[in-house]
Amino acid sequence: MSHTTALTTEKKSIWGGGKSPFSISYGKLMMWIFLLSDAFTFSSLLVAYGFVRHTYPSPIANEIVKPLSHVQENFTEHMQEVGYFTTDKWPLPELVFNHFPFIHGIHLPLFFVSLMTFILIFSSVTMVLAVEAGHRMAKKEVASYMVLTILGGAAFLGCQAWEWTTFIHEGARLDHNPFGPMAFAALFFIVTGFHGFHVFSGVVLNVIIYLNVLNGTYEKRGHYEMVEKVGLYWHFVDLVWVFVFTFFYLI
Amino acid sequence: MENHEHLEHTESPKDMKSKIWKTFWILTALTVVDIALYFMLIENHSMMKNVLFILLGVVKAYYIVSIFMHMKFEAKWLVNFIIYPMLFVVFLIALMLIESTFTAAIR
Repeated sequence: MSHTTALTTEKKSIWGGGKSPFSISYGKLMMWIFLLSDAFTFSSLLVAYGFVRHTYPSPIANEIVKPLSHVQENFTEHMQEVGYFTTDKWPLPELVFNHFPFIHGIHLPLFFVSLMTFILIFSSVTMVLAVEAGHRMAKKEVASYMVLTILGGAAFLGCQAWEWTTFIHEGARLDHNPFGPMAFAALFFIVTGFHGFHVFSGVVLNVIIYLNVLNGTYEKRGHYEMVEKVGLYWHFVDLVWVFVFTFFYLI
Repeated sequence: MENHEHLEHTESPKDMKSKIWKTFWILTALTVVDIALYFMLIENHSMMKNVLFILLGVVKAYYIVSIFMHMKFEAKWLVNFIIYPMLFVVFLIALMLIESTFTAAIR
């Protein structure tokens, strides 16, 4: 009788031992812990942005440049002359990020960054579809979804490279910013650069996983859990972009 | 024990796929709402606007973490273990907002 009671109390206590309270494999738990620490790193960077942004007065609303309107060559200088870009005011994101590849001279505020967001969300979807196919041990499906994910990641990196190039061409540096306070450009390069490096690492990991899928490594192992682990990392990169997007382009 | 249930294997592939696509459309719609609100509220510079955008970001984060990262179906302790430490970030945000008000005053 007392023996049974002891057994039931032991069963009730989740930390009683014998079973993991997290009910998850070692590898996935470690990935979650890494992502938690990485979330702290990105939070610190974004809080630093919020701090600096909050110390400057808000930008004046833009009343001259309408979306889809024609933009002259020396747009940045023009904005400096009319007082929209001054070192004592935070610049209006829509006036800074208004370029689109192959379309010159037209004011397209935030169009390009919306496209980048869409690309990253879509590559997240293909990644989770690869994970789902992995549960069914469908090797071919996993492989094709991994290709789509890699392409999405590469497309995002290409977009970011183009955006950085445009930004640098206009004179933005870590220690110089034609759009306003110096910290704006510095934070832009550091935070999007740190995020871009995460995307780059994610693409490298995805390529490794893809090659392993083709080699049949996971088929031999009997499960596709490795796809899930890298998938967690990839979704995290997408998650961080949601906040980078919110802070840099909307606030 | 309820906590040891692994729901991921009881879901049919079809259910999971429809959930994934539903999440994709929600995320896309929220991004479009973000952009629309940005232009609608462009002359508004209140803190409330920033809070609104951050809340929209948190909603998107909820969908990514719960569906894409599968957290909705994980054990309760794992969820607590990951979510509660994020309170430190909330604390940091509150501290830094107060601090930056003083920095703004001396600028």
